[in-house]
Amino acid sequence: MGEAALRYAGVSVGYHGTPVLREVELTLAGGQRLALVGPNGAGKSTLIKSILGLVPVLAGTATVLGGTPAGARHRTGYVPQTDSLDADFPITAAQVVMMGRYRRIGWWRPTRAVDRRAVREALDRVGLADRGGSHFGILSGGQRQRVLLARAIVAEPGLLLLDEPFNGVDAVSQDAIVRVLRELSAAGTALVLSTHDLTVARELADLVCLLNGRQWALGPPAEALTGESLRRAYGGHAIDVGDGRTVLVEP
Amino acid sequence: MNWWDDALHRATAEVVLVGALAGLVGVQVVLRRLSFFTMALTHATFPGVVAASIIGVNIYLGGVVAGAIIALGVAALSRRSGQNAAAATGVMLSGGFALGAGLVATQSGFSRDLSSFLVGSVLTVSPQDLVITAVALVVVAAILLACARPLLYTGFDQGGARAAGYATGAWDVVLLLTIEVVVVTVVPAVGTILALALIVAPAAAARQWSTRLGVITALAVTFGILSGLGGLYASSHGNVAAGASITLTATAILALSTVLSRAVRTRVPASLGSSAVPA
Repeated sequence: MGEAALRYAGVSVGYHGTPVLREVELTLAGGQRLALVGPNGAGKSTLIKSILGLVPVLAGTATVLGGTPAGARHRTGYVPQTDSLDADFPITAAQVVMMGRYRRIGWWRPTRAVDRRAVREALDRVGLADRGGSHFGILSGGQRQRVLLARAIVAEPGLLLLDEPFNGVDAVSQDAIVRVLRELSAAGTALVLSTHDLTVARELADLVCLLNGRQWALGPPAEALTGESLRRAYGGHAIDVGDGRTVLVEP
Repeated sequence: MNWWDDALHRATAEVVLVGALAGLVGVQVVLRRLSFFTMALTHATFPGVVAASIIGVNIYLGGVVAGAIIALGVAALSRRSGQNAAAATGVMLSGGFALGAGLVATQSGFSRDLSSFLVGSVLTVSPQDLVITAVALVVVAAILLACARPLLYTGFDQGGARAAGYATGAWDVVLLLTIEVVVVTVVPAVGTILALALIVAPAAAARQWSTRLGVITALAVTFGILSGLGGLYASSHGNVAAGASITLTATAILALSTVLSRAVRTRVPASLGSSAVPA
C-alpha cells in the first residue's frame, strides 16, 4: 500500500492558537487499527477532530489519505458518541444509516434502489437487520452505536474515526462492533478509535498512541502500554497489578 | 359579488394558509428546541413592524429586517457559549418588545393599530395579504423540501453533520431566516405576540402522536389549519377576538393531544405503545 492513510509529522493541534496536544508523530497504513489512549481531557477527541479538519493544525504537517484533513473529509468516516445525540428526535434507524449516503444521493434527488440496499446490508452487517424501522430513540445504547457505525460504513470510507465506541455499550454490541471493525480493516480501511479501555486497546489495536497533552508513546500495544509509560501519561492513577498488567484508578 | 369580497371568506382562506405555514415550520422549531428563540424572534419583529408602519414602508419588510438582524445575532451568539446565548436571547426578547412599545408611544392615536400588530386582525386581511401568505407557503414548503436532508442531518447530529462536511452554521441561518419569514407572514392573522403559539402548539401536539417525521409534519399542518378554522369559528360565533381564539384553539389542541395520547398509550399493549414513547 503506497499512500499512508494518516501521517502526522510534529503536529500540534488546538483552539485559538493554544495547543491542546503537541508533538504528535504517527503514520498509519491502510488497514491498520490505531487506538488513542489517555485520560479525560488528554486530547483524544481533539486529535480526531483535527483529522476531520475541524480543529486547526498549529504546527507540523498533517496528511490524511494523501491530502489535507479538510480535503479528505468526504473519504473519512466518523462515528460520534451516541450520548451526544437527541434520543427524542423522530427518526428511524434506517433513516440514520441513509444519512451516510446523502453525499452520493445529493440534496433532493430521491433515494435509489442501490442506496436502500446499501442501508439494509449495513444494518445486517452490524446485526440489526430487523431494526431498520425502529425509532432510533428506543434502541439501547449499544444498538444506537451500531446504527452509527452502519451509517459510517455505507459511505465506504478509506479511514474511519470512532470516538469512544464502547462507552456504555453492552457485551453483545461490543462483540458486533469489534467483529465489523476487524472486517473493515481486513478489507483495507484504516481505523482510529479513542478509548479509555486498555483491554480493548490491547485486543483490538495494531498500534496504540498514548496521549495526555502530548504523545507519550506510540507502538504495538505491548510496547506502548507499559506500566512506566502509563504512569507517565496518567500521573499517579496507573497501578501495576503484576503480570505486566497495569490498571487505571480514576482520581 | 366576488367570493373574495367577503371579509369572512378572506379570513377563512388566510387562516387555512397561515395554519399550514405555521404547522410546517413548527416541526423544525419543536424538533430543534427553538421555541424560546422563536419567542424572541416574534418579540423582535414587533418593533420592526411598528417602525415600518411609522415610516410608511411595507410592514412585512420591516418585520423581516428586524427579525433577520435578531436571527443572525442569535446565530452568531450561539456559536459561543450556550449559557450566554440563552441570556442574550432573553434580553433581546424584552428589549425588542420595549423598542416597539417605545416607538408606538411616539405616535399619538396609534393604540388601535398597536393591538392589531400584537394580536392580529384576521378579519381585515387584504387580498394582498392573502397573496403574500400563499407565496410564503409555497416558498417555505419548497425550502423545507429541497433542504430536507441537510436539515435532518444537522438537526439530529450537529457533530456528525460537521464531520460529514456540512456547514452547520450556514444551515442554522437558513432555518432561522425561514422561521422569521413565517413569523412575519402570520402577523396580520395572529399578531407578533400570538404567533409563537400557532407555530409551536400544532407541531408539539403532533409530536405526541408519532415518532415518524412524515406523520408528524402532516399532523402539524392539519392541527395548524384546524386551529385557524376553529378559532375563526369561535370568534365569529362567540364575539371573541380572532387572534386570541385561534391561539386558544391551538393551545387546546396541544393540551388535548398531551392528555389523549398518554391515555391511548397506556391502553395500547406495551409492544405497540413503545414505538410512540421514546425511552
